[in-house]
Amino acid sequence: MSAAAMFFDAPFATAQTAFGKPPQEPMDEAQFEAFYRRSAGRIWSYIYRMTGNPAVADDLMQKTFFRFLRSRPVIANDDHLRRYIYRTATNLVLDHFRESKHEAVYGVLETMQAGADSRADRGELRHDMMRVFGELKPQERALLWLAHVEGESHEEIGEALGVKAKSVKVMLFRARKRLGDLLQKKGLAP
Amino acid sequence: MSGNACPMEPDVVRAAAMNAWPHALRSHIESCQECAAAADVAPWMQSFAEVDVRQTPLPDPALLFLKAQLLKNTVAVDRASRPIARFQIVAYLVVAAGWAALLMTRWTTIASFLSSLTPAGLMSKMTSGGAASLSMSIVVTVVALASMTVMLALHTILAEE
Repeated sequence: MSAAAMFFDAPFATAQTAFGKPPQEPMDEAQFEAFYRRSAGRIWSYIYRMTGNPAVADDLMQKTFFRFLRSRPVIANDDHLRRYIYRTATNLVLDHFRESKHEAVYGVLETMQAGADSRADRGELRHDMMRVFGELKPQERALLWLAHVEGESHEEIGEALGVKAKSVKVMLFRARKRLGDLLQKKGLAP
Repeated sequence: MSGNACPMEPDVVRAAAMNAWPHALRSHIESCQECAAAADVAPWMQSFAEVDVRQTPLPDPALLFLKAQLLKNTVAVDRASRPIARFQIVAYLVVAAGWAALLMTRWTTIASFLSSLTPAGLMSKMTSGGAASLSMSIVVTVVALASMTVMLALHTILAEE
């Protein structure tokens, strides 16, 4: 295993020892709270846009932070922590889809529609947006969200999704094309 | 499409999201299909991101931290007790195999000893003095197996409590 791979798989306490640096103290409660307040809202939005279900987003967001805390994070690099937590969230969302495959294929659209319908008074626009995004594959949703909303580079997206940066370029291009086609088809293109 | 990402892509995404196009970027997207695709969807993604959908407040971080600590302790206890549980299973198997082996190999001796424990057998032993008796090795084996069985049973009961 390469040093980079080791760093990526075990980003916290083990990573420091892998590079010969002294291990740092794990994140305490106050540090966690500060990090949580900076990132939880965005993580929830990401998971919600991926799953289309607010209850599932709540559940997976909590699991994401539990897993994050279990990895004994240290305050070494905020960007690295952010990437790690996005990767954790992505893995949990993809696991969720794998575990409930039937729901993943049909349920996302239904829950996205149901969620949008229940808030119809907030406008037809959101309804249409959720439906369109729900028609994309989970990985396409993740790629588009990370690239356009989080402003991540291809390398960072690759780290978050566990794929090579060069693959991200091709996958992102296809996801953009697919979304563009869907927007055209629904008459939502700018 | 070349191997590396177009260096203009972040600028294109930003410009498209803000709908503020410098001339250079506008002419760039005519020649770069990657950036053109990014520009096509960037305004929509921006609007989509701005839609606020969360109805309830986020969970309290202190509560999450506490839950994570409790979960960590539970996991640690589970991990620590795993070798003990394995040892217990092995011990059950060893004791069961011991009893089975003893009964199979020494059944006739044990059966005749048990039958001599009836009142008639005891009487005959007292009168003739030649009734069936167990050898020392069988007695030791029975005592050892019985002790292990009792210890295992106690351990199981106490562990469950």
